[in-house]
Amino acid sequence: MKPYVMGIDFGSTTSKTVILDMDGGTVASAVSHKGSVSDEGAKASIAEALAIAGITQKQVIRAISTGYGRRMLEVSDKSYTEITCHARGAIAMVPEARMVIDIGGQDSKVIAIDALGLVSQFAMNDRCAAGTGKFLEALARAVGVPLEDMGPMALRAVEDITISSMCATFAETEVVALLAEGKSKTEVLGAVHAAIAARLVGLVSRVGKREPLVMTGGVAQNPAAVHHLEKALGLKLIIPQRPQIAGALGAALIALDEAREHAADAADEDDKVDASLDAARCGTPTCTAPQARVTEQVIHGPRPH
Amino acid sequence: MSVDSSVQGIFAAFEAAAENPLASSRAWKAANGTPVVGSFPMHFPGELAHAAGCLPVILQENHEPITVGHGMIYPFYCGYTRSVVDQACKGDFDFLDAIMFGDHCVQVLGAADVVRAKLPNTRVHFYQLISSMSDPWSHSRARETFAGLKEGLEEMIGRTIDNDAIRASIRLFNRNRQLLRKLYDMRRSGTSPLTARQMQLAVKSSMVMDKAAHSALLERLIERLEATAATRQRGVRVYLSGHFCQAPKLGILDLIESCGGIVVDDDLYHGQRYISTDVDDAGDPLDALAKWYLERNLKVPCPTRVDQNADWETYLLGAMAKSKADGMIVLMAKFCEPHMYYYPEIKEAFEAKDVPHLLIETEHETTALEGIRTRVEAFLEMVKRQTIAKAAAAARLETGVV
Ligand code: SF4
Repeated sequence: MKPYVMGIDFGSTTSKTVILDMDGGTVASAVSHKGSVSDEGAKASIAEALAIAGITQKQVIRAISTGYGRRMLEVSDKSYTEITCHARGAIAMVPEARMVIDIGGQDSKVIAIDALGLVSQFAMNDRCAAGTGKFLEALARAVGVPLEDMGPMALRAVEDITISSMCATFAETEVVALLAEGKSKTEVLGAVHAAIAARLVGLVSRVGKREPLVMTGGVAQNPAAVHHLEKALGLKLIIPQRPQIAGALGAALIALDEAREHAADAADEDDKVDASLDAARCGTPTCTAPQARVTEQVIHGPRPH
Repeated sequence: MSVDSSVQGIFAAFEAAAENPLASSRAWKAANGTPVVGSFPMHFPGELAHAAGCLPVILQENHEPITVGHGMIYPFYCGYTRSVVDQACKGDFDFLDAIMFGDHCVQVLGAADVVRAKLPNTRVHFYQLISSMSDPWSHSRARETFAGLKEGLEEMIGRTIDNDAIRASIRLFNRNRQLLRKLYDMRRSGTSPLTARQMQLAVKSSMVMDKAAHSALLERLIERLEATAATRQRGVRVYLSGHFCQAPKLGILDLIESCGGIVVDDDLYHGQRYISTDVDDAGDPLDALAKWYLERNLKVPCPTRVDQNADWETYLLGAMAKSKADGMIVLMAKFCEPHMYYYPEIKEAFEAKDVPHLLIETEHETTALEGIRTRVEAFLEMVKRQTIAKAAAAARLETGVV
C-alpha cells in the first residue's frame, strides 16, 4: 500500500485538504465551503481529497492540521498555526517570496520570510474582524451582492469613497448610510475593498514591507481586493495558482518532513530545541537533507545555487 | 499561620497572599497589631516601613471588573492605575494606616490624586524620587527623599526610627531577595522545573507578606526543591519582558507554557526587577538606600528612569544570552507610556541582532486568551524552526561541510 501525507486547513469559513505522495507531489486537493462551526466541512474536504487521490485514510501515514479549528480534528497527528503553514505553503508555491499576506475568514496575517524560507516575523489582526474575510462577507450581505460577484463588481468603481470604521458592524452601518445616500452598489463595494486594503497596510508596516510579496487565502481570488492592496502598497502582488490551499499545502509539506524524519527520530511530539537531536529537521523548506540516504553525508539547508 | 510544608503547600500559601493581598495583610494586622503601609510599586524602600514596625504592602492590581472607579480616571490609563483607583473608590484600602506614593509616571500620579481624594482620613505621604540617575546630585537627592519618607513614617508612629533597626530590616529584606534570586537560578539552570506561575506567586507574595514569614517559607521550599531530582524541561526557552506595576495575568503565563514555551527568565517587576539588588547593611542606611536606588537601575534598567549608563535593550539582549533564551515575549500593559516609549528601541535592537521577539499587549479586561494563543503558538513554532535551522547551519560550519 503506497503511503501518503495529508494537510488540512480547517478555517472558519472553508476547509481545505491537500494530499501529497512521499516525493512531495500533490495528488489531490479539495476545498469545502463549510467552516469550523462543526467538523463537517473538514470531513467533507478530507473525503473529497481522498476520493480524488483514490486512496483510503489508512494510507495517510501522517496528517497535520492548521487553521482556526486545528485542534478539533481527530485524524490529525499534530497541529501547527496558520502562520507556519501558510508561510511553508506559500514558499513552496513561490520560492522567492519574502513576504506573505493571507486574508482568512477570521484573521488576516502578514508574514515575513527570511533567506532560508523561514518565518522571521509576523503580525495578525489582534482583536476584531477588521480586514478579514468575515468583514467582506458582512459587507457583501449589507450591499446585497453575492460574495463571488462583489470583487468583479467593485473593480468598476470610480469614485473615491472612504469607509472609516474599523469595526465590521459599524462599517455595515456606514455602508447602509452610503446606499441610502444614493451611492451605487458598485461604488460602495469599491470603498469596502479599499477599507480592507487600508487595514492590511497597517499590518504590513508592523512587520516592514518586503518583496516579492505573495498573497494567499481565498480573498486572493477577489480581483478588487488584490487591486486595492496593490494600490495601497504600491507594488505588484504575486498570486499563486490556487491561493486558497496554501495553508493546507504547507501543513502537508510539514507532514511530509515529519514522516521522512520519523524513521530517524521517533520522538515527533518532542518540542525540544536541541541541535544534536533535531539536526535531521533543519526546518529549511528547501533543505535537501531529508532526501539523503542513510549512509550519505547529510547536508542541511537550501540547495547551493 | 500554619502552612503545609510540602512544595505544593508552600505555593498555596504564596498564592493565598499574592492573589488576596489586602485580605492577607488585614489578617496579619489583626493577628499581630502591625500597622499596614500601602505603597505604589517600583521604587519604594519597604525596609524603612518595616523598621518603623509596619507591614509594607505593595498595592496590587486586582482581578475585579473596574466599576465605580471607571469615572474617576481616564479609560486609556493602564490597568494598574485604573484598578487601584477602583479599589480606593470601593473602600478596599480603608484599613491601611498609611499610603506612600511615588510618582514614577503620569498615570500613577493621576491615580494618586484620586486615591488621596477618596481616602481623606488615611495618612498619605507623597514622595518624588529623582528620575535622572547619573547626575552628580542624583545620590544626594535620592537620599533626601528617603530621609523625608523616614520622617513621614516617624511622624506616623510617634517616635524616631533608629539606624540599627533600619539595618536589621535591610538584612531581612536582603535575605528575602537572595532566596528569591536563588529560586531564579534554579529555574534558569534547570535544576528545578519551576513554572512562570510559581515564580510570580513567589515574588508577588513577597511584596505583600511579612518578610521574615516569607523567607521562612522560601527556605523550606528551596530545601524541598533541592532534595527533589530535577526532570529536564523541554521546550522553547522564553525570556519575558515588560509589565512594570502589575503582575501579568497568570493565565497568560500558563498559556505561554502550555504552548510549549518554558519561561526561563524575566525582567518583570513581579520578577527580577523587584529582587535584583541588595542594600548595603553597614554604614548610613539612608546612604545605602540611595545607592541601592541608583544601582538597581543599572542591574535591570527601568524605563521610568533616565540613566546615561543604562540601556534597556542592551540589557535585554545580554540577559537573554545569559539565560540561553531562544526568544523574548514582551508583555506591554495598555497604555503604559514609559513602556510604549521604549518599545520601538527594543524592537529595532532585536531586529538588528536577529533575535526573535513577540509583542503582546495586555489589558485589565483581557479574559479571552484565545487570540493571544495563536500568536504565541506561531511565535514558538517560528523560534523553534529558526533555532533548529541556525544550529544546523552552525554544525555545517563546524564540520566544514558546505
Ligand atoms: S509605569 Fe506603566 S504600568 Fe506603571 S503606572 Fe505607569 S503607566 Fe501604569
